[in-house]
Amino acid sequence: MFESVEEVQQRFRDARYIASRRVSTVVFLAARMGRPVLIEGPAGVGKTELAKTLSEITARPLIRLQCYEGLDEGKALYEWKYAKQLLYTQLLRDRIGELIADAPSLPDAVAKIAGQEDAFFSYRFLSPRPLLAAIQAEQPVVLLVDEIDKAEPEFGTVRAKHIPLVVLTSNNARELSDGLKRRCLHLFIDFPAPADELQIIRLKVPEVPEQLARAVVSAVQKIRAMDLRKLPSVSESLDWARSLVILNARELDPGIVESTLTMLVKHEKDLERVKGSLDKVLAE
Amino acid sequence: MDQRILEFIGDLRRAEIRISPSEALDALAASAEVGLGDRETFKATLAATLIKEFRDQPTFDRLFNLYFLDLEALGEGLKKALGPEDPRVQDLLDDLMADENMELDELTELLMRGQGSEMEMAIRSGGQNAGLERLMYFLQVGFFSRRISDKFDWSAIEGDLERIMKALEQRGLDPGQLARIRNYLELRLEAFKRMIRQHVERELERRAYRQGEKLTREVLADKPLFALTPDEISQMKSVVARLARKIKDALALRQRQEHKGRLDSRRTTRKSLQYGGVPMEIFLKRRHREKPKLITICDVSDSVRNASRFMLQLVWSLQECFSRVRSYVFVSEIAEVTQAFNTYPVERAIEWALKGAPVDYHCRSDFGFAFSQFTKTELDSLDRKTTILMLGDARNNYNDPQAWALRLIRERVKGIIWLNPEGQWGWGIGDSVMPLYAPSCDFVRECRTIGQLGEVVDNLVHHWWRRGR
Repeated sequence: MFESVEEVQQRFRDARYIASRRVSTVVFLAARMGRPVLIEGPAGVGKTELAKTLSEITARPLIRLQCYEGLDEGKALYEWKYAKQLLYTQLLRDRIGELIADAPSLPDAVAKIAGQEDAFFSYRFLSPRPLLAAIQAEQPVVLLVDEIDKAEPEFGTVRAKHIPLVVLTSNNARELSDGLKRRCLHLFIDFPAPADELQIIRLKVPEVPEQLARAVVSAVQKIRAMDLRKLPSVSESLDWARSLVILNARELDPGIVESTLTMLVKHEKDLERVKGSLDKVLAE
Repeated sequence: MDQRILEFIGDLRRAEIRISPSEALDALAASAEVGLGDRETFKATLAATLIKEFRDQPTFDRLFNLYFLDLEALGEGLKKALGPEDPRVQDLLDDLMADENMELDELTELLMRGQGSEMEMAIRSGGQNAGLERLMYFLQVGFFSRRISDKFDWSAIEGDLERIMKALEQRGLDPGQLARIRNYLELRLEAFKRMIRQHVERELERRAYRQGEKLTREVLADKPLFALTPDEISQMKSVVARLARKIKDALALRQRQEHKGRLDSRRTTRKSLQYGGVPMEIFLKRRHREKPKLITICDVSDSVRNASRFMLQLVWSLQECFSRVRSYVFVSEIAEVTQAFNTYPVERAIEWALKGAPVDYHCRSDFGFAFSQFTKTELDSLDRKTTILMLGDARNNYNDPQAWALRLIRERVKGIIWLNPEGQWGWGIGDSVMPLYAPSCDFVRECRTIGQLGEVVDNLVHHWWRRGR
């Protein structure tokens, strides 16, 4: 799939995703070794985006399993179409009656029905959920298990037709089991360094003037250093840059920053705090 | 190379990073995939396969830099030491080596055209049978450097160098040039000797690092709580928080699993009437579990204050596992401090409970008085769902133990659990009245260190309160 780490990096770039050397190395290894990747990191640094981009550049369909509290293996893997099974048994009542009509005793009748069990417990009555869909797909896929930390991590084993590229993401809401971690390649993505973030903004919001982009990055980095309830993510700094472009801002002056700050900082308390030290944030 | 990666993994393990055999195999396979060409890539590869906790990352970074030399930087350093004439002189020497078929010592060959990495390898293999594993103190660096350098045949190298110079002389080089070449070769020899010493120094640093690292972690978890310094206390807070989270995760998982019950045949049958007796919808019995109530009673006299602090923190982080938590503190008077926890953040509430609660902190502890006071005021609020978690050393200062009061309390509640921050050997000796109180308790444990505290609470959460007891 990939020949070298450099190729991974280049192809991600072509798909407008800035992947650091670390990220590209791990993706390369995952593809080569057929190992799942567990990505941890704060919200909004592009963990899910990485999986989406990966599916895009490898031209493999993306199957996504969004985890939530209470999701168990039944919902993630497959479900029997119980109503359909019942409906069929009702419709076929007579046939079943015929089948066991000549059985001399009850155990014989049970044995006869057991012989036909496969008819009712077959793929026809199975509704595949994302996990089963991923390993049974006719063509290789990228399986994204989003926010694995919210689910109960207990799944069984089935043989896959093609081993999918598996990406798991976690916001560290709780500790994952050691077993899960052992089986995965581990990647920690943190907020990007200033240079990388500048590159990302240029790539994703090309219409933003160079001067403004630099100012945005420096302001965002300073806000991230503050003690806030929720730090601004990359996607939020992109939103901010876009909104500045729409407002035709040429530079960051306190007035325009104050009126657009809600794009970046979402909590009321955080907002007050940032506004309080706005001159520090905007200082060169 | 595999050998070196395995050695490196050994180092990580000694620094208390857990690495399973399968992860080690992954690291070997993965590094074979990416090769060693790029140092950053190699580092990312090892990190991705071996390091699964973010907190281990700094340890990994440091050990990696110690273990896998930055050879490029090393090469740069060597070049700088040799001066700008390097390439021309090197060409001359290369020519000579190509033309004349000289028998040279291995090391001389290495010196003539070796790269930093090859020299490094030579030194490493020299160090292997020089007993480097006994290296412990800085004073030994000189000794071991000499031992490694004794492995090399320096006289043969000197001889080789003389022969090379002669051969060059015969080629009719002018004296100035000859002097430069001689200088160049001597510099290389010098650099090589320096590398040996550096190797030994780095080895020492590696050793010291992993031992220091291990020490701090082990000591903290096993250090008696009363002996912790303020600095260590703040470190321990995060340890306790992690402990609480782990226990909570396990508990939450179990509670969710127990949501799935058995078939509720009554509801299923009733619903099936709608479909002519066919059970189209299935109902499961939900098992109802009442969360337990908890009362903590902490001795907050000086001797056990740290233990109380951590227990309060742990219990309050686990609050959502209980339907109600109430806390009392005492020295001899007893006072309820629950209110503080509802108004202040945990940290501040604990500080307040340990210093500002309405009890006299300066008198001598008197368990008997505290218990009798408790029976007078709180007995009616106790019920069979309540567990009492008691923390104290039962050192009663020869006051009346009033064990009857604890017995009375026991009759009203589900159970009493007593954690004693004093070693078991001291119970019953001197003014300790632990043996008098123990019969009223369902569960008595020594709880001297944070490790023990964690074990006990984990045990309680998983067994004592099981099945909604």
